[in-house]
Amino acid sequence: MPQIFNKKLLLLLVSIIVLVALIGFSLKEREELTWPEQFLKDTTGWVGNVFNKPVSGITGFVGGLKDLQHTYDENKKLKARLDEYVLLKTQVQDLKEENEDLRDNLKKEDDLRKYSPIQSTVIGRNPDRWHEMLTINKGKRNGVEKNMAVITSNGLVGKVKSATDFTATVQLLSSIDKANRVSAIVQGDDKAYGLIEGFDDKKNLLLMKRIPYDKKIKKDSTVITSGYGGIFPKGLLIGKVVDVKVDQYGLNQTAYIEPSTDFYDINNVMVVQREVGGVAKESDGEDEAE
Amino acid sequence: MKQFILSFIALIFFVFESIFAQLFAGDTFGDDKILVPHFMMIFVFFLTMYGSRKMGMLYGAILGLTYDVVYTEILGVYMFLLPFLAYLISKCMKILQNNVLIACLTAFVFTAVLEVVIFQMNTILSFAEMPFGEFAERRLLPTLLLNLVFIVISCYPLKRIFEKLDLQGEAE
Repeated sequence: MPQIFNKKLLLLLVSIIVLVALIGFSLKEREELTWPEQFLKDTTGWVGNVFNKPVSGITGFVGGLKDLQHTYDENKKLKARLDEYVLLKTQVQDLKEENEDLRDNLKKEDDLRKYSPIQSTVIGRNPDRWHEMLTINKGKRNGVEKNMAVITSNGLVGKVKSATDFTATVQLLSSIDKANRVSAIVQGDDKAYGLIEGFDDKKNLLLMKRIPYDKKIKKDSTVITSGYGGIFPKGLLIGKVVDVKVDQYGLNQTAYIEPSTDFYDINNVMVVQREVGGVAKESDGEDEAE
Repeated sequence: MKQFILSFIALIFFVFESIFAQLFAGDTFGDDKILVPHFMMIFVFFLTMYGSRKMGMLYGAILGLTYDVVYTEILGVYMFLLPFLAYLISKCMKILQNNVLIACLTAFVFTAVLEVVIFQMNTILSFAEMPFGEFAERRLLPTLLLNLVFIVISCYPLKRIFEKLDLQGEAE
């Protein structure tokens, strides 16, 4: 009997050592997943894809019925805003043309704002809700790569954490992870730069930290990506400011940002690739990538 | 053939969990409550109870590893935890009476244990910033309720399937 007990104890100890080693291995910043991981992800991704079609069909139908109830009210509101929209559209068109002209004059062709989108569908979400991650049905074969920005029609939702041949994993902005940072700008007369890091999931607000203390930030001003991290395009909408607090030493401010997208209701996303390449490898620093 | 049917069911549970999370991630069940489906784990628990310990631990390890790779990207946590809990369950079932009610209760208690251990694990790895009180109120209670409902619904069909497949005969 003591013999068996010892064997079991040994097994337990060995597995704890393996556990710690594995956790250490997976916490490390990795360029690429190992091939067994890629294989597993692709296989389950395929199965998820098969199930996703009927499920999304049904939910789409139910959602459609719900929408139908609100159609009348919505229509009223939208009609009221239609004139405003026409005016805005002509203004935007005008500005775009002017911008192009000026760019031509300057012979400056690259633009941090330019990007090409890859459309994809969400086929799964991490059920253990500690790491907020989504699985999407486009992978390396479609041009998705690690660290690309992921947006919906409403704004930025996160970045690609890892990509396999046919699927990719998206880490949402709301995910609590020290490595999850995005360089951002608060728009206004006086532009303020800072980093989006952290999420208050009780109030559903993003935290934008490291804003210099002397910047005056107005409530309701919009926050967009700065494009200075090296990977994200400039001008992707993140949200708007609802509250500003000075941090504990009084050197920086933290803004609380209401995200423009609902992180809990994402079905279709676009992975965006910036057309201007990043800065040289050694200088692209802490912002988004690491 | 037995193995094929079992792994197929396991796969369905595995994918269903993710789809469930995707569909009900929002505020369907109240403002800031977080519901975590543990369907696959419950499958492993019942497999241990109505099948054999060996099977439970094997499926626990494989499913746990797949879960780690595909969903959390932190390898080892579920892979280690699921076989360990399956082992404990088989020990418990030797002492406890073997009827459906007791089986459901055991599965329920072990789901709670699983959730708490995962919470502690994530706190250590600094992926969670919740005090325990908040965790209990916002995550643990709703999660347990959801999984209790699932256990009650699924215990009888799962029992029938495992008994039909006659897994116990294989282990002896």
